[in-house]
Amino acid sequence: MLKGHLDMIVLAALSSGPAHGYAIIQEIRRRTGGAFELPEGTIYPALHRLEQVGLLGSEWTTGESGRRRRVYSLTKRGARALADQRAVWQRFRDAIGGLLGERGSAAASRNL
Amino acid sequence: MQPPRAISDYLDRLTRELSFDAPLARRVRQEVEDHLLEAAAAEPEEEAGEAQLRAIRQFGDPHRIASEYAAQSLFRQTRRVGTVAVLVASGILVSMNVRGAWYGWLQWSISDELKAVRKVGLLIDLYAFIIALAIGILGWAYIGTRRMATSFDPPYRDQVKRCLLLCTVAAAPLIATVVTDTVLTALRLLEAGLRLAALVPVVTMAGEIAFAVALVVQIQKAMKRAALASSLFCS
Repeated sequence: MLKGHLDMIVLAALSSGPAHGYAIIQEIRRRTGGAFELPEGTIYPALHRLEQVGLLGSEWTTGESGRRRRVYSLTKRGARALADQRAVWQRFRDAIGGLLGERGSAAASRNL
Repeated sequence: MQPPRAISDYLDRLTRELSFDAPLARRVRQEVEDHLLEAAAAEPEEEAGEAQLRAIRQFGDPHRIASEYAAQSLFRQTRRVGTVAVLVASGILVSMNVRGAWYGWLQWSISDELKAVRKVGLLIDLYAFIIALAIGILGWAYIGTRRMATSFDPPYRDQVKRCLLLCTVAAAPLIATVVTDTVLTALRLLEAGLRLAALVPVVTMAGEIAFAVALVVQIQKAMKRAALASSLFCS
């Protein structure tokens, strides 16, 4: 299930600003409270794929350690794609929330 | 500075798994090296060797990671071949028309024997080009509607094969067109002898041959990459 949402997770992690692969993984871990334990290496093919389709940009920089590293950032298209995915996710969450009878979901509100 | 042995060994394995795409392998190696060193350094209380091994374990199986890259690399490569095929077909068409217009403008006359050869040659040219164009459009539509897979599994391998097969089948009549054009132009120039007016046919023919070579090189490169990736991931 997590794999199906990997693109959205990566885009969301980059919404706070450009970052290199390791920092993106740390950001995902921080924001999710370590809920997702996916092999770290799977992030890189996803980053490359998102770059190829124009949702991310990247450039080589030199880190504090003096090592060259690839820093990724959201492109305008990437930001739009994230907004779209966020809206889809919101609708999905509301629908499931309604189904499960959670308070605050759109469907639940309509039934009140 | 050389990375520690464990990390270096892991990077070597990953690079070997990515051997189907050398520029990609170099880029990934550099990124992963930075990642592993940073991940290992993030646990200062841990013994260095243990921290490196943990970072490697968390990074995952290089074979699986490389398989995801293979899907992307071949997707990019087949799209490139499709684009090159369209450009080459357009280039050849322009070249043929420029040469025809040049002959017409100069009212370049040829002998009756050459006229008979030219008639056959033009028929071959026409039909070969129409066949190439029809298959090319079909191939372009097929490649354009494919989606990038997340791993290089057998169905995706078959899809890549079909894309490359369509490109090869479209390239064959295109090459026949170029060969026919080369023969016709050579015969015409041999008959007319060396003169300044021959410059346009020579240049346009050189262009056509260069286009055909570029297409063959792209197809060959893609096939080699696909075969290498298949041997690595579909055994």
